[in-house]
Amino acid sequence: MARNNRQPVGLYLASGWMALCVLAAIFGDLLPLPKWDDYDFENLAAPVFTPGHILGTDYDGYDVLSGIIHGARTSLGIAVTAVLLGALIGGALGIIAAYRRGWVDSVLSMYFNVSLAIPTIVLTLVLVAVFSSADIENPSGSLPRELILIVSLTFVVIPVLGRIARASALTWTGRDFVLVAESIGMKRRSILLTHIVPNVLPSLMSIGFLAAGVVIVVEGGLAILGVGTNPGASWGSMLAKNRGELSIIPHTTLIPAAVIALTVMALNYFGDYVRLRIDDRESRI
Amino acid sequence: MTDLFSLRDLKVTFATKRGTLNAVRGVTLHVAEGECLGIVGESGSGKTVMWRAAMGLLRGKRVTRGGSVTLNGTELLTMTAKEVRQLWGTQIAMVFQDPMTALNPVRRIGSQFSEALIKRLGMSKDDAAARTLELLRLVRMPEPERLVRKYPHQLSGGMRQRVMIAMAIACNPKVLLADEPTTALDVTVQAQVLELLSDLREKLGMAMVIVTHDLGIVAGHSDRIAVLYAGEVVELATTAALFANTRMPYTEALLNSIPKLTDTSGTRMRAIPGSPPDPVSVTTGCFFAPRCNYATDRCRNEHPELVDGGDGHLYRCFFPLGKGK
Amino acid sequence: MAGTGKAHLRSETDGLLRVENLVVEYKSPGGGAVRAVSDVSFDIVAGETVSVVGESGCGKSTLAKGVMQLVPTASGTVALNGTDLTKLKGEALRRARPNIQMIFQDSISSLDPHLKVRALVEQPLKVWGRGTDEERRQKVDELLRSVNLDPEIVGDRKPAEFSGGQCQRISIARALSIEPQVLVCDEPVSSLDVSIQSQILNIIQDMKKRYGLSLLFISHDLSVVRAISDRIVVMYLGKICEVSTPDKLASAPAHHYTHALVSAVPVPDPKLGRRKAILQGEPPSPTNPPSGCRFRTRCPAATEKCAAEEPQLREVSPGQFVACHHPRA
Repeated sequence: MARNNRQPVGLYLASGWMALCVLAAIFGDLLPLPKWDDYDFENLAAPVFTPGHILGTDYDGYDVLSGIIHGARTSLGIAVTAVLLGALIGGALGIIAAYRRGWVDSVLSMYFNVSLAIPTIVLTLVLVAVFSSADIENPSGSLPRELILIVSLTFVVIPVLGRIARASALTWTGRDFVLVAESIGMKRRSILLTHIVPNVLPSLMSIGFLAAGVVIVVEGGLAILGVGTNPGASWGSMLAKNRGELSIIPHTTLIPAAVIALTVMALNYFGDYVRLRIDDRESRI
Repeated sequence: MTDLFSLRDLKVTFATKRGTLNAVRGVTLHVAEGECLGIVGESGSGKTVMWRAAMGLLRGKRVTRGGSVTLNGTELLTMTAKEVRQLWGTQIAMVFQDPMTALNPVRRIGSQFSEALIKRLGMSKDDAAARTLELLRLVRMPEPERLVRKYPHQLSGGMRQRVMIAMAIACNPKVLLADEPTTALDVTVQAQVLELLSDLREKLGMAMVIVTHDLGIVAGHSDRIAVLYAGEVVELATTAALFANTRMPYTEALLNSIPKLTDTSGTRMRAIPGSPPDPVSVTTGCFFAPRCNYATDRCRNEHPELVDGGDGHLYRCFFPLGKGK
Repeated sequence: MAGTGKAHLRSETDGLLRVENLVVEYKSPGGGAVRAVSDVSFDIVAGETVSVVGESGCGKSTLAKGVMQLVPTASGTVALNGTDLTKLKGEALRRARPNIQMIFQDSISSLDPHLKVRALVEQPLKVWGRGTDEERRQKVDELLRSVNLDPEIVGDRKPAEFSGGQCQRISIARALSIEPQVLVCDEPVSSLDVSIQSQILNIIQDMKKRYGLSLLFISHDLSVVRAISDRIVVMYLGKICEVSTPDKLASAPAHHYTHALVSAVPVPDPKLGRRKAILQGEPPSPTNPPSGCRFRTRCPAATEKCAAEEPQLREVSPGQFVACHHPRA
């Protein structure tokens, strides 16, 4: 209880950082900065605070700040889309499993468990291999990398959020108000939509924030394995592209790494905050 | 008889967003050796907060505890949490309304029991096992040998409460504190558990405090009864005097509100109108005045003190019921 | 006891709700079927309050849910206004539901925490499309006032801000919004303070008069149903042991189990001293009920006949029916 009275400084900082990232993702193009993939041959591997390149450039002469700002759009876009799709599909499946029980539940639960058992990286590698050319430099003729990443990461998120939704929905369907709703003659679908879904949403949101953080990190990992977006297009692929030069131009890897770390921390803060609000509400029930 | 367990002017307040919440406003109570004291009050009367604070359970920045709580002359309020814990079980033991939360759900009854005995009393494993069976027999559990191999969820509410009681008396405490021990139980089981508690008290010579919302429960089992309202004692008397010569209008209202088998069909329940005062707001006058049938202007403006009717019968009312002393 | 039989049923034309030979089973963890309600019959005449009492596990709550068709019933009939609810399915059952409503023991759990009080009470009206927005709002406010809640103060709050007693009043208002004929009350006061219990009982009584309800009232506490019932049904391990008027039940219980229940009620009078609890132990498991009369294992008057033969309900005095081979005189 005492924790609720504390000033949520962490939450303010997290909100500030995320607002910055989102603004950058949306309005980044309007800033008077070099394009993220413009070569600046006069300033290759420029250090931080070089005039015209506040955060320096990498060995290709790409401006790091522009890269980060452009990367926000790719990284956050992929993460948000994958988590929203995952929450929508996983949440729906989980709630249906909990409400219908019986064989529907068995089948869906088995799907969740099986897909959880497949390692993310392997799944994505397979998907990329199937849907996209392995040639990073020449992606034409296949689906865009971003789309494949979103699809495969969505598949990763579905069982995680699906199981959360199922567990949460199970506790809510056990409440007497579901019986009340049935006895006043509500239709099953309305019971789901008015009584179960709104109560499941907060816990889905809480885990969803954490999942978005995980997705950003996984995207970075995939980039390093060579199945990410175009080099330098997302935070993860900036890391991947420049990781070989860590000892010579460290800022080109450290800056995207720090941005990823801050974003994941901020998302975790949101997740915890939502969780706290839920606990606070539940404790009074 | 000497005072074993005493609360003197115990005050408990909580700092909340809305302001200071006065949960307990200066309660003085004494429990003598071997005595059974009933503490009766509605939810929000401060009865649970009071004994929790007395047991050293309520701590933290937002809790203020004032006054004094002594057990055998030792002050409990100034003790650290660790020191108070040392007294639990050996000096003072507790039985809760919901035994399920007090039992470890993933361990068998027997092993939970033995562990407590081994840790607390330094018993050997065999002695602890033997003592466990003895204690379970003492609380009249059928087939204790089979019971020790069960998990808490396999027992009925009444059986779990018996297990809790057996655990509470394992180290021969001087005082047994029972908080709503029968509220979650069926009337039939309730009668059994109350009888068990009273028998154990006599057999082991413990003092006992029963905290409840139901005057009917303590009527047959306590020596004295304290009625709590809005964090204050409003009437304190021997059980016989409290029922035969009720002085406090609130106690009368509580008694009247109990549904009885002797009521005739179609009788309207005599409910107490309204609800207890908000513990955060400042109220003048008698706290019960807004709900009292006999309230006058004086009751609404002046706060009555706890007075002695002359025979040790304490009440907090300007116009006590009954025909004098 | 273990009474079966229908001697206590009144003529078919009188009954508003008539339950005959109702059986409700659920799967036991071991795999077999447990009969929570075993061949129970009773009826409710319009305007009457029938109470069902018994210890936990006697099947009284399952009976209530079976009557409400909230759990599947294995066999038997639940006739409301002559229509057998157990035969109805899907939309037909849904259309029949407004006539019979229920309030639950755990009033807090029976209110959706994310909805505001007004929305909760309005919900049944909305489901059935009764009235315009404005009419519904007026009706909701009127209902809240009738259960002694001020709609201006409570209307826009959520259930978590209320005490158990207040939540129960909200539940009552909600159940009555679609004007049912029968209100099933499943232990509506047993988790409340004594002082609040009488408030809720009074409100239920007032509502009964105001809306011309018939009540099925479930409780483990005889004293709670004593004053409000026209008829009391005592259940043990899924069967009926006694059906009687409250006066007879309190003064001259015929079944040994009823007698034990009556004597277990705490009496706020220290002069009576400590009375020995008559009933020791707890009911046997319903997975493997005793043969013959189910109460015989705890009954002081049990004989061999009780083990061999299941007693049938029979009238021992006008309005008093008992399923016992050796009823108390």
